[in-house]
Amino acid sequence: MARVLLTVALILHLAGVVFAALGELRHRASLSRAGGFVLLAANAGELLTLIVLGVTAGAFPLRNGPEYLLALGGFVLTLHLVLWFRLQVRAAALVLPPVALLMVLSAYLFSVGDTQDLPLQTEGWFVFHTSIATAGVAALAVSFAMSLLFLVKERALKNKRSLRVLAMLPTLEALDRLGFQALLYGFPLLTLGIATGMVYSSAVHNRLWIWGPKEIFPVIAWAVFAGILWARFARGVRGRRSAILAIAGFAFALLAFVGMVR
Amino acid sequence: MLTLVGMNHRSASLELRERACFAEGDVPAALSRIRESTSATEALILATCNRVEILTRAKDGPSMAAEIRGFLAKERGLDDETIERHVYVHQGLHAVRHVFSVACGLDSMVLGEPQILGQLKKAYATAREAGSTGPVLDRLLQHALSTAKRVRTTTGISRHAVSVAYAAANLARTIFDDLTGRSALLLGAGKMTELAAKHLASQGVTDLTVTNRTYARAETLAESLGGKAVPWDDFTRELTRVDIVLTGTAAATPVLTKEHVRRAIRARRGRPLFIVDIAVPRDVEPSVHDLPGVYLYDVDDLQDIVDEGLAERRVAAEEAKRMLDIEVLGFDRWRQSADLGPMIAALYEHLHHVGHVEVERYGRRLQSLTAEQREIVLDLTRSLIQKVLHTPIVSLKSAAERGEAGPRVALYREIFGIDHGRTHAIEDSKEAADEAGPGPTHAIQGGKED
Repeated sequence: MARVLLTVALILHLAGVVFAALGELRHRASLSRAGGFVLLAANAGELLTLIVLGVTAGAFPLRNGPEYLLALGGFVLTLHLVLWFRLQVRAAALVLPPVALLMVLSAYLFSVGDTQDLPLQTEGWFVFHTSIATAGVAALAVSFAMSLLFLVKERALKNKRSLRVLAMLPTLEALDRLGFQALLYGFPLLTLGIATGMVYSSAVHNRLWIWGPKEIFPVIAWAVFAGILWARFARGVRGRRSAILAIAGFAFALLAFVGMVR
Repeated sequence: MLTLVGMNHRSASLELRERACFAEGDVPAALSRIRESTSATEALILATCNRVEILTRAKDGPSMAAEIRGFLAKERGLDDETIERHVYVHQGLHAVRHVFSVACGLDSMVLGEPQILGQLKKAYATAREAGSTGPVLDRLLQHALSTAKRVRTTTGISRHAVSVAYAAANLARTIFDDLTGRSALLLGAGKMTELAAKHLASQGVTDLTVTNRTYARAETLAESLGGKAVPWDDFTRELTRVDIVLTGTAAATPVLTKEHVRRAIRARRGRPLFIVDIAVPRDVEPSVHDLPGVYLYDVDDLQDIVDEGLAERRVAAEEAKRMLDIEVLGFDRWRQSADLGPMIAALYEHLHHVGHVEVERYGRRLQSLTAEQREIVLDLTRSLIQKVLHTPIVSLKSAAERGEAGPRVALYREIFGIDHGRTHAIEDSKEAADEAGPGPTHAIQGGKED
C-alpha cells in the first residue's frame, strides 16, 4: 500500500518538477501554476505514505534511514510550497523540488516500506532526535537553495550579460535574507538534533560519541553553520562567502544520511 | 462602418501634432460637435503628445472619412494639403486593428511603452461620459484595453529597458528588495546626472546626496531634487552609507578609485553597493567591479542592456501582433453576429409581409370561414414561415461564428429579395432594431408560441 502510494507520489513529483522548471524558464505562468499544484499533490502523497507506514507498523514512522530520507524530501517539498505559494519565491522551483525528488527517490530505491529486516527503534528520545534533525536539515536545504540562487544571481550581475537570469531570480537582497532566515531556523534544530543524538547514543551504546559518518558529518556541518553565523553577527560577513559556506554545510549535513542507509 | 482618422509621430511633425491636438478640457465639446456636424453615431478622440486620432462609427463608410477629415481641418485650422499629406485613414477591420495596436503600444514611438494604455483608457472614459460611445465603440474599446493588458503580461513587451536611466533603475531593482526609501550619492551635478537621478527618484529613491567640485552647483541640484549637498572632499564618507552611487562628472581621470570603495566596504557590513557610471570618460575605476558586493555598470554596459531590451521588445512585438490577429478576428465575429439581428428581423418581416399579402389575396374565397377558422389559417401561415426560415437562420448564425457571415448575408438578400434600402439596418444594428418596429417581432413571437 505504502509502496504504491509512494510510486504515484514520485511520478507526480517528477511531473511537477518538469512543469515548474519549464514554467519558470519559459515564463509560462500557467505551466508554473500547474507545476505548483502537481507538486502539492505529490507532497500530500509523500506525507501520506509516511502516515501509512506509521499506521502499518503501529509506530512513529521515522525509524530508519530510508524513512528519514522520505520525511526529509517531504519536508523540503513542503517548505518549497510555502516559499512558492506564500512568499512568491518562484525561482526556488528550479532547486528545491529536484533536491526533494532526489531524497524521496533514494528513499524509494533503498526500499522504504519494506522494513521487515530493518531494526525498529521507537524510543521517545530517538523519535524526538530523528524528527528534530530531519526538520533541521530540511530548513538547511532551503538555505542551500537560496544560497545557490544567490551565487547564480551574483554571477550574472558580475558578468553583466545574463539579463534573463537577472530578471528571473528574486533580488540579491531577498535571496541573502531568505537564506539567512532558513539558517536561523535550521541551525538550532541541527544543534538540538546532534545533542539528542548524543543523549540517545550514550543511553543505548553507553558512549557519547561514535566515529561514524552519521556522527562526524553533522558535526562538521554544525561547525560550518556556526562559522557563518558568527561571521555574520560579529563581522557583518554576508553575500557570496556566506552562500558558498551554506552550500558546503548542507552537503556535509546530507552526508550524514549516507551513514544511515548503508 | 468604423472610421479612424488621425496623425501620429510618423505621419506628422511635432509642430503639426501640437496644432492638431485637442486640449483635454475641449474633448467633450469636440465630441458633441462631431456628432452634430457629421453623420457619426459614435465618436472617440485620442489626443496625446504623439498622436491625434478620431474614431467614429457611422452608417456610411467612405464619405465618413471625408467628413471627419473636414471636421479636423475646420476644428484645428488645417489646410487641405496638410490633411492630405499627414492624415491617415483606417476603416472597418483596419481601424479595429489600428486601435488594438495603439492600445498595445505597437504604434508608439518607443515600442511597447505603457503610458498609451492609460491615455486610451482616459479617452474612452471621457467619450463615455460625454455620451458619445455606443454598443460598437464600447465593445471595441473594452476589448482593446483588455487585450492590451494581456499582451503586456504574456509577451513582456514593456518589461525590457529602453533607456540608460531605465536600465540602471531596472538593475537596481534586481539587487535591492524595494527602491522606496533607498539612498543614493550623486557625484557631479551635470544634466545627465540630474536626468538619471530624477528617474531614480521617480522609482522611490528619496534619500539623495549630491556632491560636486563646485559646491554651489551641488546645492542647486540637491535643492531641485529635494536632497542634500555635501562638500566634494567629504563624499567618501557617504560611501559607507548609501545603496547607490551615480557618477557623471566631467573629470578626465577617475574620481572614485578602488581604494575609496575598498575602505568603505568593511563598514558596510556586506550590504551590496550599486555604482552607475554614466560619465565619459569614466569616473570610476573599472576594477571597483571586482570588489565583493560591489556592482559597477558604466554607460556601455547599460547601453548593451538597452540594445538587448529593444531587441527583446521587437521579438515581443511579433508575438503581440500574432495575438492581435486573433483578437481582431474575434471582434469581427462579434460584429458579424451582432449585425445578424436586424438581418434576421428583416427576413421575418419580409416573409410575414408576403404571407399577409397572400392571405389578403385569398380573402374573398376565405369569406365563408368562421373567425376561429380564419385565425387557424393565419396561424398556419405564420408557422409555415417559421419552419421554412429555421434552417437558413441556424446556418447563418453558425457562419457568423466562423466569421463568414458577410457573403451569406448578401446571398440571402438576393434569394429572398430583401432590398438594401429597407435593410441598411444590417450595417447598424441598434437603429435597425428600433426601426424594425413591433410588427414582425410580434409575428415571430406568435409563430414561436404556436
